[in-house]
Amino acid sequence: MAITDTPRFVRADGPDKVTGSGRYVADLTLTGMLTAKLRYAGIAHARIIKIDVSAAKAIPGVFSVLTADDVPDLRYSPVVPDRHLFAKDTVRFEGEVIAAVAAINAEVAQQAADAVVFEYEELPIVADLEAALAPGAPLVHEDWESYDVTGDTPRDRNVATFSSITKGTKEGVDAALAAADIVVKQRYVADGSHAAPIEPRGVVAQWEGNKVTIWTSTQVPFDARNGVCETLQMPSNRVRIIVPHLGGGFGGKCGFHFEAHIAALAKASKRPVKLVFSREEEFLAPDRRRESMIIDLETGLNADGTIAARRGWVAVENGAYTADSAFFPQLAAMHVAGPYKIPFVHIDSSLVYTNHQPSGSVRAPTAPQGCWACETHTDELAKAVGMDSVAFRKLNAIDTGDEGVVGQVYGEIGLQQCLDTATEMAGYGQDLPDDEAIGVALGWWPSFPGASGAFVRLDADGAGQIVTGAQECGTGAVMTLRQLAADELGMDPEDFEIIYQDTGVAPYDTGATGSQTLLNNGRAVVAASEQIAEQLKDHAANMLEAAAGDIVLANGTAHVAGSPDKSVSIAELAEVAAGGQMLIGKGSPVPPEYPEIPGMNCVGDQGVAAWAAPQFSCHAVRVRLDRDTGVARVLAIACAHDSGTIINEIAAHGQVEGGVLMGIGQALTEGTVYGEDGRQQNPALLEYKLQTFADAPPISTAFIQIATAEAGPRGAKGLAEAPNVPTAAAISNALAKIVGQPIRQLPMTAERVWEATLSIADDSGETA
Amino acid sequence: MTTFSIAQSLDQALQALADGARPVAGGTDLVVGSRQGKAPLPDTVIAIDRLDELAGISLSDDQLRIGAMVTHAQLMVDPIIAEHFSAIADAAALVGSPSTRNVGTLGGNVMNGSPAMDTGAPLIVLGATAELQTTSGNRQVTMEELWVSPGKTSANADELCVALNMPARPANSGSAYVRLEYRRAMEIAVVGAAASVTLDDGGMVTDARVALTAVAATILAVDLGDALAGKPIDEASLAAVAKIASETATPISDLRATDRYRRHTVGVMARRAVEAAGRRAGGETIAIPVNRTLGIGASQ
Amino acid sequence: MHHMNLDVNGMSYPITADASRNLLSVLRNEVGLTGTKEGCDDCECGACMVLLDGQPVNSCSYLAAQAEGRAVTTIEGLADGDDLHPLQAKMLELGGVQCGFCTPGMIMSAKALLDRNPEPSEEEIRIGLSGNLCRCTGYAKILAAVGEAAVEIR
Repeated sequence: MAITDTPRFVRADGPDKVTGSGRYVADLTLTGMLTAKLRYAGIAHARIIKIDVSAAKAIPGVFSVLTADDVPDLRYSPVVPDRHLFAKDTVRFEGEVIAAVAAINAEVAQQAADAVVFEYEELPIVADLEAALAPGAPLVHEDWESYDVTGDTPRDRNVATFSSITKGTKEGVDAALAAADIVVKQRYVADGSHAAPIEPRGVVAQWEGNKVTIWTSTQVPFDARNGVCETLQMPSNRVRIIVPHLGGGFGGKCGFHFEAHIAALAKASKRPVKLVFSREEEFLAPDRRRESMIIDLETGLNADGTIAARRGWVAVENGAYTADSAFFPQLAAMHVAGPYKIPFVHIDSSLVYTNHQPSGSVRAPTAPQGCWACETHTDELAKAVGMDSVAFRKLNAIDTGDEGVVGQVYGEIGLQQCLDTATEMAGYGQDLPDDEAIGVALGWWPSFPGASGAFVRLDADGAGQIVTGAQECGTGAVMTLRQLAADELGMDPEDFEIIYQDTGVAPYDTGATGSQTLLNNGRAVVAASEQIAEQLKDHAANMLEAAAGDIVLANGTAHVAGSPDKSVSIAELAEVAAGGQMLIGKGSPVPPEYPEIPGMNCVGDQGVAAWAAPQFSCHAVRVRLDRDTGVARVLAIACAHDSGTIINEIAAHGQVEGGVLMGIGQALTEGTVYGEDGRQQNPALLEYKLQTFADAPPISTAFIQIATAEAGPRGAKGLAEAPNVPTAAAISNALAKIVGQPIRQLPMTAERVWEATLSIADDSGETA
Repeated sequence: MTTFSIAQSLDQALQALADGARPVAGGTDLVVGSRQGKAPLPDTVIAIDRLDELAGISLSDDQLRIGAMVTHAQLMVDPIIAEHFSAIADAAALVGSPSTRNVGTLGGNVMNGSPAMDTGAPLIVLGATAELQTTSGNRQVTMEELWVSPGKTSANADELCVALNMPARPANSGSAYVRLEYRRAMEIAVVGAAASVTLDDGGMVTDARVALTAVAATILAVDLGDALAGKPIDEASLAAVAKIASETATPISDLRATDRYRRHTVGVMARRAVEAAGRRAGGETIAIPVNRTLGIGASQ
Repeated sequence: MHHMNLDVNGMSYPITADASRNLLSVLRNEVGLTGTKEGCDDCECGACMVLLDGQPVNSCSYLAAQAEGRAVTTIEGLADGDDLHPLQAKMLELGGVQCGFCTPGMIMSAKALLDRNPEPSEEEIRIGLSGNLCRCTGYAKILAAVGEAAVEIR
């Protein structure tokens, strides 16, 4: 099979996007369409006394005003169902929806939303993770014990889920720490942050008879459909989710959000209804925010620099509801343990309710913070034992055949090559001005094999169509599918168009989440294409009077192996097939298996300790610090990634570059600030600072390509989340070298860096 | 409902103001402000951005006149401003983004009265006055008199700022504006400082002024005392400037910084502004804006 | 209600709308061109960038009525029939497009930059496009695309 030579890959959706003709949800208009506005609680924790919508309903132009009384009375969410569509009895964060309005235009809708009378009694706010864990702390969910939780999920009061990972035994860890030559113990605290896609979300819903079609900016159409089905109690075949172009997600648009609210409004109003978020709503209302974390690490070292044992304690902020975060504690535990050879490990990790916005799967959830803590700690360990931090990692990081922190033995992996390559690209070890340093960090992230389906067909003119349940959120993963189909069929990628993100026409896929699209749907498209290839070969064998096994598909033709002139075009074959048994392939292959770890010792296992096709990375970043102000600037960054085989080179580079910049933001300027009232203080792009074009450093990337078994097509692993993982950690280590000590708070804002500088500088060091 | 018109002449604009209309230049502050609920859009709005009387930059023997509708984009590249009134160019080049610099005008900024405005401190150290005109007359107001409190000026509702005027620069003078920014673009000043310096032939300071951004209710002029007068710009005098600036500031704590951090960094900015202004006064060319030429914001 | 004639991409549109309406909303709803995007409504993201007499303007924060008598250019006005503008072509070819939501605004800012500075340095491209946030690309491929487009246009 030839791999198409596409050094310059043109996206199938690219022309739509560069000409402005591509439609996003906000660009859609339907005849008779109403505008929706949501009324939010605007208070972090309160008991509802009264919600009165009569005045709102009386406003001319208002079609419907809905509250909890107007929808089925049930709690939703996977694993820990703890949320209602509309606040019922209690509001638990400021962005909680108490009512939804549909009206003739935006002004009237807003007027009606404002006219909803909301009376409440304030309850004490649970904001601090440690305070939430204290005995006698106010409860975010008073009736937590009555929730209908699935699986083995230890819970207690404000602890929504708990997981631990252990290697050896807890007592073994204690003994190893007691026996260690050096012990380093530190606390690291990370603030929450946001996905902040540039497109604020939108939802349009339209009913015809008993069926509803919902156009929505979701990363996970099937999840969104299932959420609507669950909360409005409908069968899956009467809810159709269509995603037009999606303006980025980064996890913020995972899950099921406001589709059911708008569907319910459209039903009640007997009109199509449209919701488009303002930027402020995009910050406040979704239940997918990057979680704040507190991480305590205690690590014992042997005198030779090897790691003897690690004990850890992690609190992961859940916020008010458990969106998809039940597995976060275990994932966080893995990241603070790190990709190291440590014989004794014990980490306790809790998902803690607060009266803040719910946390959810933002690009590699828990990993940038966990990695930042682990890798900052790693540099502290190297310093404590008097080793260079890269040499220390060389010594302790896992390699092919090594056993990791939960006892998993890794197959062929490229972590050590990543370390060598990134540090070499960055010129690690060179002499630098005293306000500059190069920081290094290692990262890892699992791949998530799962069920996924696609159809491929060739029509009578030989033009190809890929029909897939996969979701394109910008990464190019869906766009790459046509390259896979083309390679299987000896055709050109541009011979294929893609029908995607429509639950009514395509088979299931998990969606743009977990970096899984190419891994899983790529396999599905290859399988579907293989079926067509077989059909084409049979037809060609008949026409060319050869054995099907000797037919080769290449350059748009089928020819007999060794006789390139004995050929027939695929278009001709397609025309023949169209008159009889059509060229339709369906792919839904059995997913690769997750590794089994004999004797794995995890309490509250959420399935994210044994990692399928783990991805590895090393980032080496050169930073300059303005010591007088604490303002840091990233000058250059070198990235080496083992994400298995790279199928679409240009898109892969784009993923690393985008992930790096998001990581720089998390490191330096992006953090949610809460007031004492439990409300966000910076829900705007001026105060929540994404990195600009002017801030972006040159980014160089190398891929350590190892065709990985039990992974995606051609041995590919996931990629979209991994580049986000070690960037903040590498910046932290560069800053620590310049300042003389780490900044153990994330983001490492200018002021926090300056405070750290002050705390070790003598007074004469100050310039003002 | 808002009534909107585009002024065809200065007289028409002044008459409209006398009749209760509010002027709009680039409109950025007005339009954004109204949508954020800070202030509703006025009932009657008159656009003044196309008036020739309010355009243009002119330098006479003793005075520079900048039309109120000159944009930040024009200020940052104008050769007269860049060479002789560099602090204004430094500041203009840092405002928002290319598009906000393209739309935002100096007059609009001045009359918006924000203590975080970047061009404010340069105008103070360069001794600028605002020229306010009505249908019946015209007066010059110093910046210190004009700015009363955040978002509030001493101008009457019927007065239109038509120009900013300032004295021509003495020989051996330089000025600069520096600000603290967490990103290299799209920022609003956390703190900032402008400096104007005049040197004698021996390199001693004969005149020096410093003003501070975003550390008080209005842009704050600093009384330098004898910190610089008659002295060279060296480590000792710069340290003195930083100390005075920090002590003069009365910053608040907010999202962007604590008062403690602002007080410290405004001293750093003042020191850097004086240093850059002094080097310019000595004949050195430092590209506009200083922020992206010296220090942390500099390109590699 | 205010009557205005808006010149958008060389075509004149008679529009009646409240004078408080911003240019973005009038372009998207009355003129009917949705290529210009709303990302923040606050001059902070650049997705709504259009050209006004060739200069970049955040249309979210500009009164539609104030654009009367000026030439408005949106992303839809950039291609010459089916022939993409070099900026559009290079953004496609070099991978400067991911989710695409910032793309129209980014291209309009780049157009304004190249019109006033046909040979920008890397730093000048970075500063010239610093009012356009992109969350997907890390800006690297956009930088390359604008650089190559500049060469092609020259």
